[in-house]
Amino acid sequence: MKNIITHTIRYEHSPEAVWDYLTKSELLAQWLMPNDFQPIAGYEFNFKVNPMPAYDFDGIVYCKVLEIEPFKKLTYSWKGGPEKGKINLDTIVEWTLTPKDGGTELLLEHRGFKDVNLSIFSIMDAGWLKNMKEVATLLNTQNAGK
Amino acid sequence: MHTQTLNAFQVIADPSRRYMMQLLSKESMTINALAENFDMSRPAVSKHVKIMYNAGFISITDIGRERHCTLKQDGFNELQDFINYFDKFWAGKLKKLETLLNNKAKSK
Repeated sequence: MKNIITHTIRYEHSPEAVWDYLTKSELLAQWLMPNDFQPIAGYEFNFKVNPMPAYDFDGIVYCKVLEIEPFKKLTYSWKGGPEKGKINLDTIVEWTLTPKDGGTELLLEHRGFKDVNLSIFSIMDAGWLKNMKEVATLLNTQNAGK
Repeated sequence: MHTQTLNAFQVIADPSRRYMMQLLSKESMTINALAENFDMSRPAVSKHVKIMYNAGFISITDIGRERHCTLKQDGFNELQDFINYFDKFWAGKLKKLETLLNNKAKSK
C-alpha cells in the first residue's frame, strides 16, 4: 500500500502553455476546481467543490503556495476536513514541468496521506493476512466445539 | 457506553491504537492481554478496541469470558480506498486538462 500518488502525463504543448493552466485562476477552474489561486509564494487560497460527507470533507480545500519556479515547479499545501478549523487531510501537491520532445512532461505528486508509520502497511501483506484468517478460523472452531 | 465511529484515518491517527494493531498483527489477543501493554485503564483500552472494531480494523470473538481481538483487512481497505479515490480524481483532472489544451490549440 502506498501513501503517495504520482501521475506523469505528456502534453503536446509548451511548458508555458501548461503553466498557464496551472497558475491562472480562470484556466485552473476549467479543469480542476473553482479557486482564488494567485501565483505568489506564500499565497493562501482555496478550492471550492461539493461537500463529501462520506470522506469527512466540507468541500473546501485550504491551500498555500509553498514553492514556485515559473514554468518548472509549483508546490502547494492541500488541506481539508469536515469543517473550518478541523483538518484531517494535510497533504502537499507538487507539479513539475519538464520540456520533452517539443511538448511537456507534467509530473504530479500528491503526498502526505497521514503520517502513518509505513510499518503498519507492510503488516498487511497477503501472507500475514492468511495467518490471521487461520487464527480466526481456529478460534471459531474452538468456540463452536464448546 | 456510546463510542463514536471514526473514519479509518482518524482511527490510525492515535499512537496507542497503532501500537495495539502492531501487537495484534503478531497474534490475536484478549483485551486483558492487550491492556497489559499500556498504562491506561481497562475501560480506556476497551474504548480503543471498540473504535477499532467500529472502523473494521479488528474482529472480536468471545471465548468463555474472554474477548479475543483479531486484526482484519476492512479498515485498511478503507485507507486504500481513500487514496485510490484521489488517484482517480487526479487521473480524471489531468485528462480534462489535456482536452482543454488541445481545444485551445485547435481554436488558434
